[in-house]
Amino acid sequence: MSYQPFSMYKAGADEEKAENARLSAFVGAIAIGDLIKSTLGPKGMDKILQGNERKEMQVTNDGATILKSIGIDNPAAKILIDISKVQDDEVGDGTTSVTVLACELLREAEALIGQKIHPQTIVSGFRKATVAARGALEASAIDNSRDQAGFRADLLNIAKTTLSSKILTQYKDLYANLAVDAVLRLKGSGNLDAIQIIKKLGGSLADSYLDEGFLLDKKIGLNQPKRIEKAKILIANTPMDTDKIKVFGSRVKVDSVAKVAELELAEKEKMKEKVEKIVKHGANVFINRQLIYNYPEQLFADAGMMAIEHADFEGVERLALVLGGEIVSTFDCPDKVRLGQCELIEEVMIGEDMLIKFSGVALGEACTIVLRGATQQILDEAERSLHDALCVLTRTVREPRIVFGGGCSEMLMANAVSNAAAQTPGKEAIAMESFAKALRQLPTYIADNAGYDSSELVAQLRAFHASGQSVYGLNMLEGKCDDVKALGITESFHLKRQVLLSASEAAEMILRVDDIIKAAPRRRNADMRHH
Amino acid sequence: MTQSSAPSAPSAATSSSAAGSVLKKPSNVSAFKDRSKPEHVRDSNIIAAKSIAEAVRTSLGPKGMDKMIQSSDGSVTITNDGATILKQMQVSHPAAKMLVELSKAQDIEAGDGTTTVVVIAGALLDASSKLLAKGIHPTVISESFQRASAKARQVLQGISHKVELSDRQSLLQSASTSLNSKVVSQFSSQLAPIAVDAVMKVIDPATATNVDLRDIKLIKKLGGTVDDTELIDGLVLDQKAAGFDAPKKVEKAKIGLIQFCISPPKTDMENNVIINDYTQMDRILKEERQYILNIVKKIKASNCNVLLIQKSILRDAVNELALHFLSKMKIMVVKDIERDDIEFICKSLACKPIASLDHFSGEMLGYADLVEEVSTGSSRVVKFTGVANPGRTVSVLVRGSNRLVLDEADRSIHDALCVIRCLVKERALIAGGGAPEIELVIRLSEYANTLTGMEQYCFRAFAEALEIVPYTLAENAGLNPIATVTELRNRHAQGQYTAGINVRKGLITDILEENVVQPLLVSQSAISLASETVRSILKIDDIINTA
Repeated sequence: MSYQPFSMYKAGADEEKAENARLSAFVGAIAIGDLIKSTLGPKGMDKILQGNERKEMQVTNDGATILKSIGIDNPAAKILIDISKVQDDEVGDGTTSVTVLACELLREAEALIGQKIHPQTIVSGFRKATVAARGALEASAIDNSRDQAGFRADLLNIAKTTLSSKILTQYKDLYANLAVDAVLRLKGSGNLDAIQIIKKLGGSLADSYLDEGFLLDKKIGLNQPKRIEKAKILIANTPMDTDKIKVFGSRVKVDSVAKVAELELAEKEKMKEKVEKIVKHGANVFINRQLIYNYPEQLFADAGMMAIEHADFEGVERLALVLGGEIVSTFDCPDKVRLGQCELIEEVMIGEDMLIKFSGVALGEACTIVLRGATQQILDEAERSLHDALCVLTRTVREPRIVFGGGCSEMLMANAVSNAAAQTPGKEAIAMESFAKALRQLPTYIADNAGYDSSELVAQLRAFHASGQSVYGLNMLEGKCDDVKALGITESFHLKRQVLLSASEAAEMILRVDDIIKAAPRRRNADMRHH
Repeated sequence: MTQSSAPSAPSAATSSSAAGSVLKKPSNVSAFKDRSKPEHVRDSNIIAAKSIAEAVRTSLGPKGMDKMIQSSDGSVTITNDGATILKQMQVSHPAAKMLVELSKAQDIEAGDGTTTVVVIAGALLDASSKLLAKGIHPTVISESFQRASAKARQVLQGISHKVELSDRQSLLQSASTSLNSKVVSQFSSQLAPIAVDAVMKVIDPATATNVDLRDIKLIKKLGGTVDDTELIDGLVLDQKAAGFDAPKKVEKAKIGLIQFCISPPKTDMENNVIINDYTQMDRILKEERQYILNIVKKIKASNCNVLLIQKSILRDAVNELALHFLSKMKIMVVKDIERDDIEFICKSLACKPIASLDHFSGEMLGYADLVEEVSTGSSRVVKFTGVANPGRTVSVLVRGSNRLVLDEADRSIHDALCVIRCLVKERALIAGGGAPEIELVIRLSEYANTLTGMEQYCFRAFAEALEIVPYTLAENAGLNPIATVTELRNRHAQGQYTAGINVRKGLITDILEENVVQPLLVSQSAISLASETVRSILKIDDIINTA
């Protein structure tokens, strides 16, 4: 019999209790917020993400991308990373804001717990605050969707606001127009698949453009027409090398070379038949996901058809969507196959590469944005930024209400929460006051990142709002408080609401934790997941 | 990279968050005061990027030096092409990598000026580190640089002069300017016309707005010297003629390009030929012979006398027996043609590829007055001349006495071709020899005086950074850089905007008289690409190691 204190857990497993658990949760979450808060706002900074040798390095200002890439071992920090991912999927932008807000809420909560306020009290205070903030946000939202020109102006402003915190800020007019044009083409369908982004090294960011139609980075077969008007397109996924019997080890046995030659001929005939069947569909363009060998290529050339081989999977699916055709793999019923259509197919040169351009496509909303830039990092970041803008815009098309940016909405919500706190009897009011404080931290960071005196600016801003001028926000170009409505700094209502709700939910979740149990780590060799 | 921060463990996170919450920001601080870490990161980025620029700086200009690069597998490259040096350098610092990318982008965009662009980026970073030290916010610098580079493009546009593609003299001059800074500079008088003619041949000067350099095939062959390099109006194939006693020279050639194989039949399905006794074996050999002979006879029947055969990975493209028959029938054979080259060959010879024997007919063939195998030192090439209705393609046979010179000659010709391509894209020339940069220095500084605030400071710094180009040119040429640059400024201030460094004479002269000209596009893209990269480096405040 031993009198050693016994452990309930397996060796290697771990438990952190009450104070310790809360501390480690706060510390982890706050560290995440501190890591990315410097990317916030129009003058936010970028970060280099340096992977191991096999992974390319990235330069980015996108919160979700940064958080996705860092390795984290703290459970609370993981929750914050998750909410930024959700924000990325849901809205596409505001990934940094949501994380920073959650982190600020926790920072305030930590102080409250220091004052011996029970976490549950804090949670219920935060909930009341969220309701008040949400109400204020909704009240301030503006809907311009009935007015065509006004709505477009709203979209442009939203795109510009989103882009102004990204690498594209210098060209925000160009890119905002690109993004708005692309999204308006979608006519509310919100299907971002129809917008293709092609990145080509070389040129500068200012050389990017929107191309109506669709670009495919492939080659047209030899001796085939390089330009087809009124194209009818058959999109296929079928082997065009040989129709093999897919039984392992299948073989033929013959007793003379002449018979081998006959078999060879038969195989060729089979291919010829297949090509004839394809030609019978009445299409003049054939696009295959798999390779097209020399022989069928020549047969297509003889038939005057354009054949494009090895269009990859995504390419084929997108083509099918854009051209309005379907992907076929058997060719026996030509009348049942829906062919894709477009006005013109031709070759165009971008940078040093030849691409195939499909214009006048069936899906009128389809378009391609060609990005040019000096380095791969710039291109990648430009793509991420543009993608964010596109996401936000498609969201806005669905939920057309807008609110004002530049710290304006946060200040508005903070004041509403403060007012509500003043009318709330009991300890919860303290938590609500802290919630308001956390909201005010966002404009503080925006000002800090731009190198301005944040305390002064935020105090001024608060005063403006208190005196009823609720369209005032931070003008980070000139470093003063300004009428953001006039400046056109607008954001999607949906985005802001999502930031508010996700952040407070995440904070609440972490607050409720009073015990962290860690399972014994599985024994394993070097982590190969990311290799 | 000591500034890595990955809060992977709670303990590491503790310290950073503590620092964040303890250091409450003092109020009433209006100037930009950053925390120390972003400063370190920025410094480390700037230092790394600058050292890259330093490394290639000495290879700028006609008197620039070359670098010898030994790769991990022991092979050696000698070059002064910025893009090539950087590509081989295998840098690991992320900011340094961005400069490598930058030179790659310039290579794609303009093809030349790959060293210049890195040197300019280095100087701009140097300037920005001084601006940062003054407490100017990085985004302010970044925005000012952006505006300055747009302004610089305008100024360059203003001092450029139009050039017509029919003006052969100007084209030759700009090609020579590019070639003069390379190892092969003493051959620039031979290579420049080759570059100009090659480009002119593949485009229609009246309508072209771009050149597809894939229409110009450069074939490198060891042996001879660089001045043996020639432009071949027709086609050159790297392969030698196959077969032992096959013809090596065919006049009035009818050329067939086949994509099928002349070898015993093979099915896609696995096949076994089963032999039971000796007589059957004999029969099989005979049948095989018959099969191949049939193919060859059919080829002969179409009057084809030169046969190009595409490489096959599945089976022998052409076997010994077939070669024997073909040489008996006096058909010249070139085998192992890559599939990627087929399009180019078809374009050059106006023939069509033949994928099966049934298609083998007279109209698929191309015609050339002469096809011959020429020995070039230790190896041989096949030349096609006098092609009927040739497409717009051209081949250049590059020669050199050793591999290093040969590779460098290849790169230099590529650069020269790119220079001409730039002129096709943007038909304007500016003076070389550091003249445009000095002009920019003066004009941008003047313009800076009309601005106020931080922007003026940044514009001035941007302008002064561009001085690095003439400074380095002078330094590399062994001139006193300060004396040269100051005199150059003086001359430009007096309105002589074509005054540049005459490296050959070691003086400042009107550089246009020396025929040192370069395409506008090269300088414009160098400045805009360099400033774009510098801006993105400036905006970085953290390096995070990811898992």
